[in-house]
Amino acid sequence: MTADVRVAVLFGFGINCDRETAAVFDMVGGTSERLHVNHLVQGNRSLEEFDILAVPGGFSFGDHLGSGRLLGNRLRFALREQLQKFVSSGKPIIGICNGFQALVKTGLLPGPENASLEPDLIQRASLTLNNTGRYEDRWVTLEFDSESPCIWTKGIQRIECPVRHGEGRFVMPTEMELDNLSQNHQLTVRYVDPSTDSGTGLSDDLLPFPLSPNGSMRNIAGICDPTGLVFGLMPHPEAFYTMWLHPEHTSMKLNEDEWEGSGLQIFRNAVEYVRSQR
Amino acid sequence: MTVHDVRIEVTPLQTEGMRDVRGDVVRRQLIADHGIDVGIVRSICGYLIRSKYDASSITPRVQDIFSDPIIEFGAVDATLIHDATFFPHTPSLCVTVGFKPGVTDNPGAAANDGFQVLFPDVNAAISTYTTYVFTNLPETVDNAWLASTLHNQLIERAILATRDDISSGNASVITFPERPTIVRQSPSIIDLEVADEELIRLSVDGLLALNLTEMQAIQAHYRMIEHQTARESVGISTNAPTDVELECLAQTWSEHCKHKIFASKIHHIDTETNEDSIIDSLFKTHIMNPTHDMAKEVDWLLSVFHDNSGVIAWNDDWSICMKAETHNSPSALDPYGGAMTGIVGVNRDILGTGLGARPIANTDVFCFGPPTWTGELPSTLFHPSRVLRGVHAGVRVGGNESGIPTVNGAIVFDERYIGKPLVYCGTVGLMPRRLADGRESHEKNPTPGDAVYMVGGRVGSDGIHGATFSSLELTDESPSSAVQIGDPITQKKMMDMILEARDACLITCITDNGAGGLSSSIGEMAEYTNGCEIDLGKVPLKQEGLSSWEILVSESQERMTVAVAPKDTEAFEALAALHEVEATAVAEFTNSGYFHVKHGEETVAYLPIEFLHDGVPQLELESEWIPPVQPEFIPPASFDNTKLLEEMLARPNIASKETWVRQYDHEVMAQTAVKPFVGKERDGPGDAGLIAPIHGDSQGIVVSCGIAPRYSDIDAGAMVAAAIDEAVRNAVCVGVDIDKMAGLDNFCWPDPIESEKTPDGKFKLAQLVRANRELERICRAYRLPCVSGKDSMKNDYGVWPNKISIPPTMLFSLFGNHIDVRNTATSNFKQHGQRIYLVGNSKDELGASEIAYHLTEKNLAEGIGGNVPRLPEPERQLDIYRRLSKTIQDGLIRTAHDCSEGGLAVAVAEMCIGGRLGAIIDIDGIGEGDSFSRLWSESLGRIIVAVDSEHEMQFIEAMSDADIHLIGMVTDTQNLIIEDGYEELIQADVAVLTNSWKEALDMTGGV
Repeated sequence: MTADVRVAVLFGFGINCDRETAAVFDMVGGTSERLHVNHLVQGNRSLEEFDILAVPGGFSFGDHLGSGRLLGNRLRFALREQLQKFVSSGKPIIGICNGFQALVKTGLLPGPENASLEPDLIQRASLTLNNTGRYEDRWVTLEFDSESPCIWTKGIQRIECPVRHGEGRFVMPTEMELDNLSQNHQLTVRYVDPSTDSGTGLSDDLLPFPLSPNGSMRNIAGICDPTGLVFGLMPHPEAFYTMWLHPEHTSMKLNEDEWEGSGLQIFRNAVEYVRSQR
Repeated sequence: MTVHDVRIEVTPLQTEGMRDVRGDVVRRQLIADHGIDVGIVRSICGYLIRSKYDASSITPRVQDIFSDPIIEFGAVDATLIHDATFFPHTPSLCVTVGFKPGVTDNPGAAANDGFQVLFPDVNAAISTYTTYVFTNLPETVDNAWLASTLHNQLIERAILATRDDISSGNASVITFPERPTIVRQSPSIIDLEVADEELIRLSVDGLLALNLTEMQAIQAHYRMIEHQTARESVGISTNAPTDVELECLAQTWSEHCKHKIFASKIHHIDTETNEDSIIDSLFKTHIMNPTHDMAKEVDWLLSVFHDNSGVIAWNDDWSICMKAETHNSPSALDPYGGAMTGIVGVNRDILGTGLGARPIANTDVFCFGPPTWTGELPSTLFHPSRVLRGVHAGVRVGGNESGIPTVNGAIVFDERYIGKPLVYCGTVGLMPRRLADGRESHEKNPTPGDAVYMVGGRVGSDGIHGATFSSLELTDESPSSAVQIGDPITQKKMMDMILEARDACLITCITDNGAGGLSSSIGEMAEYTNGCEIDLGKVPLKQEGLSSWEILVSESQERMTVAVAPKDTEAFEALAALHEVEATAVAEFTNSGYFHVKHGEETVAYLPIEFLHDGVPQLELESEWIPPVQPEFIPPASFDNTKLLEEMLARPNIASKETWVRQYDHEVMAQTAVKPFVGKERDGPGDAGLIAPIHGDSQGIVVSCGIAPRYSDIDAGAMVAAAIDEAVRNAVCVGVDIDKMAGLDNFCWPDPIESEKTPDGKFKLAQLVRANRELERICRAYRLPCVSGKDSMKNDYGVWPNKISIPPTMLFSLFGNHIDVRNTATSNFKQHGQRIYLVGNSKDELGASEIAYHLTEKNLAEGIGGNVPRLPEPERQLDIYRRLSKTIQDGLIRTAHDCSEGGLAVAVAEMCIGGRLGAIIDIDGIGEGDSFSRLWSESLGRIIVAVDSEHEMQFIEAMSDADIHLIGMVTDTQNLIIEDGYEELIQADVAVLTNSWKEALDMTGGV
């Protein structure tokens, strides 16, 4: 029997990528539900009902007081035990854009130093204003650490997709902390120069704008926790679920079966991971 | 209980790798806008918390709420400017900007929301401020001027502290904005049994914007015995209106709400043709009748004119709707707040369509003064660059935070928009054709007894008199209360909640609270059941003490009015509670025939529905057309066309707006198949927006626009024809389904009523008449129904003879079906060897063209007069468009670009820029006129396409006898060469053209 892979896609309070995030999980065989945060906070629904949690992009609470902070607080203070239990029981979580910001500010990302420790919800990194000072929507090229424990990104080397944020610059207080993440292969995905060959683009040297759209330390676009279950990234892979969303699709000559966008694999990986664990 | 005021200040850490971007942006913008480098700028965010918690209890949680432990430092009850860790040297100047009392403070509201999670206190309030710290300001910079660039004194206060103030400890600090207590005034009775001059004075002093005839109509109403008897029965003043009633009538009868000029009886004289005729309503004659005629021929026009937006059937399961609005006057006074309320306001029009549609795409079109303006400015006007920044920021925040992609727009510049910027905001909506209970979602169906809820924000003193104020010209005395700041997150929560309520079939009727507030929203809905009873005492307020009339007409934002059947009220309220949205039953529908307003037990207004909606007397206006005389545009005898092309690409009306447009989210919802910028480097111009809103389904919706205000300098009729044709051309360029497209007409006009302050009113009205006639002629020929429109008729600044009037401007927005977004086209050349065709003919039409303005402004030509582009055979044009669109839908054509401002030369250059490819073009034989006019003329009906050689024959066959001209080929040379037969006119490097086009309006001041 293959039971449904149930995906909770949070919404409310200014989250606004909930519909497309729910849709892409459905496209890869998941069964998604857009779930208002308050259903969990008020206790009439529980995260236990779900196999995957997605915190989509948006402008929760208008990004006031720092993007993701106030949503992060709602999760951290009202859902602390549910979240810890969800992660401890080996269930995947993804945060995209504002969702990534919220996961970083709750402390779920990058998480404790190694995979054997319980999630402690202590903030260790942050996402702050782009060096340009501007919110921007533009496509970027991403490359993935092939040795990352991240279950979401297995087998993916390089994709394009859009970034849409004003506060996407990933920072940590010290180089040592970044080194630790790097050694753990938690720097899952980074901005790269598209003129490099696929597989050779990852670099610690800061890329110029707009190759790195925000000036992130080490060009970081997304990270995972030590278990590889919790993953967050600023770019929007769900916004490249089909080739007709690619900026240059009118220059391509695609056959009927070539229209899947390369963002979709991330979501398929998680749904298949859940199935494989049963 | 003791109330404590606690101050928290937060500033970015200065450790390695950390930056103060907020401060740095101030520095960069001052460089970009004024060429002044003020040196390093730092920033401090401040929070003033008024609550039952004291500093010692808040201190341990500062990092949980206010400051980020990784990137910021937060201090309680300290002013960071005196903290040597962060500011080791005393700064030159600190400018602290906070809100004035009563102004919407969104960061404050969000901070309070976060505060409540840890510190519950229903009475807590938080006010925010920002301090800009200039560490080493050059002495040449004037402190007061600098402060004025950082705040808008209409809504904000600024406190300056100089180096001396700070080092001597005398710097004053900003405090919580105290709002004076207001005591509610009981409704007053207005005696209308007065002389005519007194009636006029009542209207003027009360900002009612009613003329004498209208005041007399109201006077007459109260003289009628039958009304007096009815009024006696409910215990309201029998023979004179209350202030509540007079305000309610003024809102409902305002030009803004009733479109009195479009509905007027016009005596029109044309001195060219000797026409002398009467037009009974431009709207009915030229807009409504044509659409109703077209409705007889198609089955997809579901709802036109009467709802908040026009609705068409998109397919069997879904319908789509669109609305565009202007927010000109508020944007002139407060560009940021005015524009933001513009975009979130039009979103509510969509939410208020039928039983509630979901906004899925925004458009925005702005008209500004030149951003590089160095001439004089009236003291009360902002510099155009500031208007641009403010309006852009307002629309950006409003759209982005609402999670609605901005897919199409334009920015137009002309000196006359310095007096009044035009801010057009549009939204497309999507709704299921039928709800779960079988009701058609485009129809409202309230019944007497339904409860009427006010949902979303509360009512405050902000936004009082917006409708009547926008019906008056802008002056120095324009009131600040007409300005508001939107709150997109409150609205987003409300929108989520209302769409769930719709899908749960809980809504019988819904409309938005915009102009005129509850008076308009409930008043309009009450027409369905013929009556309502409101209790203003139940309306939640932002502050106590508002009088009845203020509650009724306040335009406070983020509110919808929703009717719910009694059986569903419990479920509706539960849903509101889940979403943390305030929903309060404030009225009930009746069939009494009356708009009955109570405040508690007291009746404060009692107006017959019929009088309220149909009682306004028709205006009678005079119109006379005398063609304006413009000095003929004659190109100079010698010129360098290559250099001209570089200059033309840098003209603000042509130059790339990419740095501005990229700041709008155009891809949220994962549906945008043609983006605003396209091509190899994603920086070539997109012609129209194309979205596929149902995930996984490739059926699309095209959204495009057209605007050509300068053609009004010759003929406003030509201006309208050009705008419609441009919108259609843009849509054709992406392959629109030509048989299912609808339009929106948004007229912005200077005051066209002849009076002492408008001695040229007859001419301006004649321009409106000609504009409407062309609208009808072109729309009928294109079978393009106008399904919803709007007009804004007082776009003037100042008083005659020093009045600045905008050029008559109509924005035409188009939304239409697209069969399959996988088959579409973009403007960029794709590859070497593509064959380039011009579809349509070039004519000698340089009148009011961009090149004419360019050369005239450079004193190389005498004027801009001459042949303005015309559309003599629109039926034939439609056939060409249908054929071309079909070739795109069939996948034959993947490269198409509209030919408009700057003519063929500019269009081809843009296609080269998008593809980073060269081209060789020959313009011999493409139409009448000399080579100059074939290069630069803006003749309508022209689209440039490039076709791969394997599809060329099929393309030619498909176009049949349509006018197409092979003009050249795409090359991989990085050179654009344009020839006329054997004569080379242009040889330009694509990289040089790219720079000209991209740099002119960059205005970022660097990364």
